[in-house]
Amino acid sequence: MTIHAIQVRLSVVLASARMRIINLTRYPGQMLSDLIVPIVVASLPILLGRATAGENASAIFAANTGTGNYVGYMLIGSSVYSIVSYAFWHIAYWLRWEMETGTLEALYLTPTNRFWVAAGTALYSMIRSVVTGLIAYILGSYILGSNPFQGELLLALLFILVGLLPVYGLTLLFGALVLKLKEASALINLMQWGVSFLMGLFFPITVFPPLLKAIAMAFPPTWMTNGARSALLGVGYFFQEWYFDVGVLTFFALLAPLLGYVVFNRVESNVRRHEGVGQF
Amino acid sequence: MTSKPAVAPLLTPARQQSDLAGQFSSFIMMVRKEFTVMTRYPVEFVASFGQIFFIVAIFTLAGLTFNPAGMTSGGGSTGTLTIYGFVIFLFLSDTLWNIGFRVRQEQVQGTLEQLYLSPANKFLSILSRVTTILIWTSLLSVTGVFFMTTLIGQVTVHNPLLGIYVLLIALLGMFGVGFAFAAVTLRLKETANTLINLIQFAFMILTANFFPFSALPEPALFVSRLIPISYAVDAFRSALMGFPPGYPELAPFEVELVIITIFGIVMPVIGFYLYRAAENYARRRGSLSEY
Repeated sequence: MTIHAIQVRLSVVLASARMRIINLTRYPGQMLSDLIVPIVVASLPILLGRATAGENASAIFAANTGTGNYVGYMLIGSSVYSIVSYAFWHIAYWLRWEMETGTLEALYLTPTNRFWVAAGTALYSMIRSVVTGLIAYILGSYILGSNPFQGELLLALLFILVGLLPVYGLTLLFGALVLKLKEASALINLMQWGVSFLMGLFFPITVFPPLLKAIAMAFPPTWMTNGARSALLGVGYFFQEWYFDVGVLTFFALLAPLLGYVVFNRVESNVRRHEGVGQF
Repeated sequence: MTSKPAVAPLLTPARQQSDLAGQFSSFIMMVRKEFTVMTRYPVEFVASFGQIFFIVAIFTLAGLTFNPAGMTSGGGSTGTLTIYGFVIFLFLSDTLWNIGFRVRQEQVQGTLEQLYLSPANKFLSILSRVTTILIWTSLLSVTGVFFMTTLIGQVTVHNPLLGIYVLLIALLGMFGVGFAFAAVTLRLKETANTLINLIQFAFMILTANFFPFSALPEPALFVSRLIPISYAVDAFRSALMGFPPGYPELAPFEVELVIITIFGIVMPVIGFYLYRAAENYARRRGSLSEY
């Protein structure tokens, strides 16, 4: 691959991301919603816990999860969940979005490889979700009464950033499923809650039965969530040390995008040969 | 002498539709259309039950993190409080989206203008969605209670008839809220999507669906007392939990019952008039088909 070819592909990625970001700025309410949703979602169990456990909430929570900082615990869960959820929505829903905006046919007629357009969408999604997730975590901590800057912040950020690659690889797998089954919204809505359940949105996955726990451990967002919680709150890494957990995430980062790319391409080619990608 | 054959008075389509039998027939056809659309998306139908399972499991486990007996023991009263609040939230959410925002879907699909060109009663189109909500969301609610029972053991059920009355009368009020949001959707178009999202989340906190009202700070509690749906949530779960000490939290049960009843009678009327006003405004401006 020549340098010129790399520059061309990069320009496609950046143009695609820029288009989506400009589109987002036309709807400031959506950006506000991105900030509010993780805070509101996290506040539900926090308020429930305060009401039911009272002054002993921290102590009881520490006995069950390894940390007394239930505000930080829930906010980390909801912020990581929002990052993962947006990844699935933006990528798995990508073709449907192109169809709704009337650009799907042009996309398939252009000589540009659609992969780079999707990569631009992924870049936009990463920027949007990580920035809003971070702001929501910091803002939510102040609103709900926790220090957002305790613990090892850079290490937590490392877990999030390394975890993004396998997450986006998974979204390609899921996108293939959406292409095949067509009912995008229904599947993504189900996926959102399935993802939040498996990654331990508000609870440690150690309470799962063995089979379910094994499935959760094979799921990259679980490692992202636990890694961020361990770095910031000290709940404990799965393999005792942070570099082992980062190593597992790195393995996922190498495997998942490749697998997702191969599967998505195969399914898309199959769908194009038969029913076409324009039908939903 | 031949008698003139009786000639039926000329009935225009508009006049035909104006009589009650015609309107009822239109309503039945619209309900049938909604159910037909629903059955064309079997994945969505099955996925909705899967969602309910995950939501119930997540909030049950979240509640158990504050259980002094540990996470593997049952979470009786907390789970019961959560599931009954969740039932009200399900209906409210479905009302906001399936009544409030469906007008927008009709605009995007391009069928709203055709609907307004037809002699059928336009309000019946919105009303027909009430039927699907009643049936589908009721099924989801029952499923949610079943899942919660499976996870934490028995969910307490006291005063079922009183609970059903509170739910039904509150539903009427929520349908009125849905009609009002349909009016908002006609005016704001795509922005209504974000607005309904934000309001849904605001209601989640202010109407305390998933936690007791005692958890709210005083300023938020003040706002909660201004929202009739808060009294519906409080009365519904208090009645079904058998009025444990401290419940209902916002006001005496008799007072809450009066508030909810007035809400259930007045809000549909307000919602209807708001929708009509927005509809007439859109028709005068010619913006019905704009999106």
